[in-house]
Parts: sequence; C-alpha cells; structure tokens
Amino acid sequence: MTGPLALIAELTHRCPLHCVYCSNPVQMQERAAELTTAQWGDVFREAAALGVMQADFTGGEPLARADLVELVAAARQAGLYINLITSGIGLNENRLQALVAAGVDHIQLSFQDVNKAGADEIAGARAHAHKLALAKRIRQHHVAFTMNVVVHRQNLERLPQIIALAEELQADKLEIANVQYYGWALENRAALLPSEQQLSESLATVKAAQERLRGRMRIDFVVPDYYGKYPKPCMDGWGRKLMLINPAGEAMPCHAAGVIPGMRFANVTNKPLRWIWEESEAFQRFRGEAWMPEPCRSCERRGQDFGGCRCQALLLAGDASTTDPACSLAPSHHVVATALAQANPAPVAAGDEAARPVMKPSWVYRPNPQ
Amino acid sequence: MSRPGETSRPRLARGCRISEQAGQESTLLMPEGAIRLNPPGLKILRQCDGAHTFAEIVSVLQGEFAAAAPERVAEDTAVFLEQLQERRVVDYE
Repeated sequence: MTGPLALIAELTHRCPLHCVYCSNPVQMQERAAELTTAQWGDVFREAAALGVMQADFTGGEPLARADLVELVAAARQAGLYINLITSGIGLNENRLQALVAAGVDHIQLSFQDVNKAGADEIAGARAHAHKLALAKRIRQHHVAFTMNVVVHRQNLERLPQIIALAEELQADKLEIANVQYYGWALENRAALLPSEQQLSESLATVKAAQERLRGRMRIDFVVPDYYGKYPKPCMDGWGRKLMLINPAGEAMPCHAAGVIPGMRFANVTNKPLRWIWEESEAFQRFRGEAWMPEPCRSCERRGQDFGGCRCQALLLAGDASTTDPACSLAPSHHVVATALAQANPAPVAAGDEAARPVMKPSWVYRPNPQ
Repeated sequence: MSRPGETSRPRLARGCRISEQAGQESTLLMPEGAIRLNPPGLKILRQCDGAHTFAEIVSVLQGEFAAAAPERVAEDTAVFLEQLQERRVVDYE
C-alpha cells in the first residue's frame, strides 16, 4: 500500500473569524484537548517516514497556536514542505519573518470578498483591511503566495474584481473555490448556492483570465459539485492520498468524516501513524471499491471519482455508503435537484419583481470553541 | 514568452525547492504538489539559480549525455523549462 502524500494538520479549531461557510465540524475541539508541540513533532516525523511530502497547516486559524513557529521548524526538519493556510489575523511583520525563517514555503491567504462590507459580513469580523496590508508584506518575502477566495451566491458577481485584486497583490496563484456544503455551509446553503447563470458567467470569466494570465498567475477554479453531472473525487479517494489530523490528534480520512455515525478514529497519541493509515477501521471503511453500492460498483468512472463524497452522502441521503447525491446517476439525486431548483427560481416580470418582498440572508455564524 | 531564450537565466520560483534525501528519488517540491525528477531533470533544475543561462545549462547537459543528439538535448531542455514556467515553478531573469 502506498502512503499518504499530504498531511492536513488542523492545529486548532480556534479562529478570530466566524465564517458562515467554515469547513470545521459543528462540534469543535476545545483548546484543552489540543495536541502539544512535542506531540505534533512526533506526527511530522512519522508522516515523513510514511512518505508524506506536504503538510498543510490549517485550523481554525493556525496563528492562534502560540507555538506555530516551533511547529513549522519541526515539520521542516522532518523534511516536509509547508503550506500555511491562514486568514492572516494575528500575523505581524515579526511573526511573519520568524515563520519564513523557520521554513514556511507557501502562504495561502484567504479573502472573503473584494470589498470591505461584503468581506466583513461573511467573516463576522473586521478583517479585510488588515489582509490587504498583509498581502503586500508577504510578497516581500521569499515564499510562494496564493490568494484564496471562497465564492458563492453573494459574491460571484464580483469575480472580475477578485481576479483584479489577485493581480494587484501579485499572487502566484489565485484559488477560487465554490463553497462546499458541509457543517456551517450546509446550515447557510440557501443563501450561498449560486444560480446556474452565475455559474456559467463565472466559468467564462475564469477561462478568459486563465488565458490572459498564462505563465504569470495560475487560477484554479473549484466548481460547485451540485452542478456537476458526476461527483467530485472527494479527497482523491478515501484513504488514498490524504490524512487529516484534527486538533485533538484524531486521524481522519477527511475533515468532515466525524459526521458519519459509528465512525471511530484512532488517535496519534496512542497509535503509530503507519498503523492508522494501513490498518485502522476509519481508513479502511471506504477504501477501494468493495464498499461500493450500485450504480458505482459497475460504473466505468468508479476509478475517477470513487463514488464521490461519503460525508455528503450521509448529510443529504442519510447513508454514508450510498452514491454521492451530487451524481446525476445517484438514486438520491433528487435532493440536490430540489436545492438547485430553489436556487434557480423562474424569472419574474420586472414590475412584479419591484413589488416582491425579499428576505436578506440571515447567517448562522460559527462560534469559537472553549 | 514562456520559452527560454539563449540568454534567459532560469531560476526556481518562490516556494519551489529541490528535496534530495539519501536513498530517495529527488523531488521538486512546490505549492501543493511535487514532481519526481530523473537525472537530467535534476541536473537542469540544480542549475536554475538565476545565474546560469539557458545556453550554459544546455551545454552542461550535452556534455553529460554525450550519446544524445545535441539539438535533441537543447529542444528537450527548452520544452521542460517551458512547461515548468507555465506551472509557475520556474521564472526567467
């Protein structure tokens, strides 16, 4: 069996932002349960021995860990490439310098929007101005810089300005990711799911920008899987390439796997990482094809999309081992079709539209764990 | 222009580095990815330091792989660098 290629290190669930589409579980880990500096060091060394090349430092907000510089140094010493995925809140020049010196290779800075009001509404905090200033300072250092923006119904119309901002900030890469509907985002789905017209316009905008900026700035665009004919190859297949360690040390095949009833996760504090990857129940559960139901089992795409996402199957169809409802061939596809129908209401005459009462989105913000 | 000229001085872009660990294949690490390198690939990228010109890199490679046709080596090196430049792994000075 080949080892994982990347380790997603969820260092903490604490975060100064409260984003309405946060991918953290609705049940978050408390500060008191977090792994220590030394425990993370052991994880990085075991991961490198298992063949892991990349570590994604994420959270919550990784900067909320007071020992972040030490953690970076430990991971780098173990031989890992370090991606720091951050909101930038808590990053001043001194700390930035210390992180780069300790070995951060790549900083992914998240933006919630291009304008302050939109960004601060999504984040439930005033953060946008700080991010702009920070992006300019990151560019002064010898690290790769990605600007990351989550897009959705409320900000997709500003995609051209998002691309212009990334150019202005001289990002090496712009990652535009449509919201994925788990945890907090599922709670807020009605206000986040884009219309079909928004989606097709955004695809055209991205394609034109990719051609214009070829060789200067890469643009990755993650399409919303609800609109796909086939599901996304979630995590590149269960237990195939990625391993996530949550703040408390539980090793998971994906960040949302905790929603699946009966799923038990081994903890890095009492089991070797290699055993967890190769033998533990959670990583075996949906690995390979033996678990697959029809229509996946006989589908010629089963080696490409691996039946889609197990967590989405659980959340939308109530069964983690059924075909991802995002797949047009899934027996439960109607639940996605219903959400899409709501996101694409029939056109209304202009006069009627003017008289129509509208509810502004009311958000469920994620709180902070204890 | 992503194809190197004779006097282009390629260098690894920010966030890209070569990992050489004893007993393992050499790897070019980059944001969220990695490329395994064969000996000629490693030879080229070790010289991508912003100091060596494309012509110098090709000449070193032609010396190292003397059994290969020189114009073939030059063309393959140009294509290799062009692809890496498009992926923003290599810049030219």
